[in-house]
Amino acid sequence: MSSDDDIRKPFLEFAGPNGAYYANVFLKIQKATLNRTHLNPVALVGSFVWAALRGSWLLFTIGFVIDLVAAINVALYFKFAKAAVDNVDRAYLVERYEGWSESHIIAAVVIFILGRLLFSWLADRLYVIQYNRWRINNSVNSGVSLTRLVIVTIVSVLIVPPMIYRASQFSPDARTCIKQDRAIDRGEEVSFKARFDCFAIGEFPTLFWIDRPDQISFPRDENGERIVQRTPPREGSPPVNLNTLVAQKIDDGIGYVTVFYAFLFDEITRLLRTMLTAITSVFVGTPWPVTMGVLLFVAYRMAGIRTTIFVGASLIYLALFGFWQTAMDTLSLVVAASIICVVIGLPTGIWVGKSKRAQFIVTPILDVMQTIPSFVYLLPAIAFFSIGKPPGILATVIFAAPPMVRLTALGIRQVSEDTKEAALAFGANPRQLLTKVELPLALPSIMAGINQVVMMSLSMVVIAALIGAGGMGYIVTEALENTETGRGVLAGVGIALLAMMIDRVVQKANLGRR
Amino acid sequence: MTDSSRANVVETRNVWKIFGDRAGEALEAVRRDNLSKDEVLERFDAVVGVRDVSISAGAGEIFCIMGLSGSGKSTLVRHINRLIEPTAGEILVNGVNVGMLKPEELLAMRAESIGMVFQNMALLPHRTVRDNIAFALELRNVDIFTRNNVADKVIELVSLKGYGDRYPSELSGGMQQRVGLARALAADPDILLMDEPFSALDPLIRRGLQDEFLELSASMKKTTLFITHDLDEAIRMGSRIAIMKDGEIVQTGTPEEIVTKPADDYVADFVAGISKLRLVYAHTVMIHIEEFESRGSKLPAIEECPRAHPEDDLDKLIGLAVNQENPVIIMDDSTPVGVVTKDALLRGIQGET
Repeated sequence: MSSDDDIRKPFLEFAGPNGAYYANVFLKIQKATLNRTHLNPVALVGSFVWAALRGSWLLFTIGFVIDLVAAINVALYFKFAKAAVDNVDRAYLVERYEGWSESHIIAAVVIFILGRLLFSWLADRLYVIQYNRWRINNSVNSGVSLTRLVIVTIVSVLIVPPMIYRASQFSPDARTCIKQDRAIDRGEEVSFKARFDCFAIGEFPTLFWIDRPDQISFPRDENGERIVQRTPPREGSPPVNLNTLVAQKIDDGIGYVTVFYAFLFDEITRLLRTMLTAITSVFVGTPWPVTMGVLLFVAYRMAGIRTTIFVGASLIYLALFGFWQTAMDTLSLVVAASIICVVIGLPTGIWVGKSKRAQFIVTPILDVMQTIPSFVYLLPAIAFFSIGKPPGILATVIFAAPPMVRLTALGIRQVSEDTKEAALAFGANPRQLLTKVELPLALPSIMAGINQVVMMSLSMVVIAALIGAGGMGYIVTEALENTETGRGVLAGVGIALLAMMIDRVVQKANLGRR
Repeated sequence: MTDSSRANVVETRNVWKIFGDRAGEALEAVRRDNLSKDEVLERFDAVVGVRDVSISAGAGEIFCIMGLSGSGKSTLVRHINRLIEPTAGEILVNGVNVGMLKPEELLAMRAESIGMVFQNMALLPHRTVRDNIAFALELRNVDIFTRNNVADKVIELVSLKGYGDRYPSELSGGMQQRVGLARALAADPDILLMDEPFSALDPLIRRGLQDEFLELSASMKKTTLFITHDLDEAIRMGSRIAIMKDGEIVQTGTPEEIVTKPADDYVADFVAGISKLRLVYAHTVMIHIEEFESRGSKLPAIEECPRAHPEDDLDKLIGLAVNQENPVIIMDDSTPVGVVTKDALLRGIQGET
């Protein structure tokens, strides 16, 4: 056996039928001499069927999607062409539909031709990767198998007809389907096609209807005490779906809590207001020359001269454009929110960093806090705390606290086991381990967390202003309402400068300490 | 050659450590059926770390525990200060059962009577050298003045004078490990646990530190459990050596015993490459005088032969035998007790006695 045969043997073994061709191509790929425009002719014709026979599911997906998209475009072409004929008496519709049908047929042809070319270009180049995997693990698909073709046929039969049908029909809207449901309830004849269209295309069908729940209100009784009053729904009122039901339950819950636990929220509001007043009195109550001087001095001590120049320039911008008081107002809001974030976030972060279970519980909560759109919790915040600065602070805390928890936990977890073991070996108790080893070593991460908290608090000022938190955000929202672009831009730049100022100082200070 | 009059400062009695959720079950099964490490892993998803180990180290002794990685030596030594709880067995430190200590007593013992040195130093990067060294004292709430004083003394002891106010990251590896050693010595513990302290250092620095440590140890007389994966180091440092394999002690003995009478092939393999020159003594290689004469060989006049003491090592005997026709006569006081011929000497170097 010549050495050339030796080299080709594994290729032949892998490829099975038509092995000589693949041996040739793979060899060229390995020698990097494959023609740049090389196409696999069988793949060009066979597309996803070829990929299925060869057992490459990646290629199968690519080929299948290309052909499917082309086919859907053909279906859309016929759909709009037919619609144009059906609506021949309405000229504006005919024009629109003909335009659409034309663009779909062009898309179909282009996608089909370019897609097939791309596919056959990719075919051998991806197939060789499968060969490489097969060398490592012989259970990777190799050769040609008819079983796979059967699977593919079943999959295609399940996917292709509904897709094409969906593309060729105008989908019924929700109202049509609800009307249809009622009609069925009344025992009227509804065609199978109409039923099927409502069920399978368009919105996911409402599988079950629920009786409308009682209306709940909280009037006062003769003693002036609040009571819970349930009003059953009117006779014959239509049933509701799951969404409506749960939404109403949430409303009821929030209503109940606001009415019967008002004292709790009043207390929190009072606490927040007290804290804010204290902070505001420092920032706003101090004459501007003093505040400015102190801020510049702090910047200089913490971050050096270059940052101080930047801080100085930013402060002058705020002052010259008449944002001084509002900026200080915003700053107090941010400081208050940041303090709360740190007070809550640091212990939580330590807990999360040390306990797997805590991590398991807290991580999804943090994810929700960060991803849920702020407008969603602005509404309950208003319900509980009415409008003003306190709910603004709370909304800010919800958004800005997660990085504090995350980065604290990260810092705690990053402390190496060896270092902790050494501390334990010298007799550290858990408290000493935390204060003398873990927290100091986690400090850079914790500082990064505080920085993040401040930045994210600032990014919330505009949204918090919507519920009456005032400050720079208020100018922006006002400008938005009155479409005063200029004022909005000036205030926006002010907020950005405020953020950058704090960020630069904290970052530099953090770097300097390390 | 344990000195039986010396009290055992550190002692482990039939210590077992099995890692895994089903350690208890596994332990029972291992004891009953004498399962191997692999069998335990397969049947109980548990890892045997330490397997029925009983060792004892006397006061002032450097007791080496030698084994390859994964042999359980580091696990074993962490039982002494209960960084790891044994699955079964007892650990006695100065006669006190460590397993019975209350949490507060355990912390006190770790801080006051056991110092530990780690392979990767594990210094606290945010503290100066002095504060690192005084760490154990600080944990016991010793006042700053006292602990700075103590730390400065220890700094001098490990020849780091002038580095007290530096941070560990400013020091070289060898110096960092001196800090590690100083930290272990600062609370003046009776016991030192040294977990491959010099393994991460390059050979020259390692040798220097070994010598320094031997000197320190000779003057401070701390009971030391010294872990190493390097037999050369074990032989240099240890007054006794325990060789571990798969969590078990394969052999315990003086360096000479290990080298000349390896307990099994595993130990023999290790010992094969070791130079015997300073480990094997005249009394091991010599032919007794009566036996020598009974073979009919004629003993030359004693005055014409080089003479040596039974406790002289091979290195010295070679020096004596060079350029000599006559064999070396081994004299105990003034009576000849044995003869070392050149053949016997060469065999001794090979390790066959």
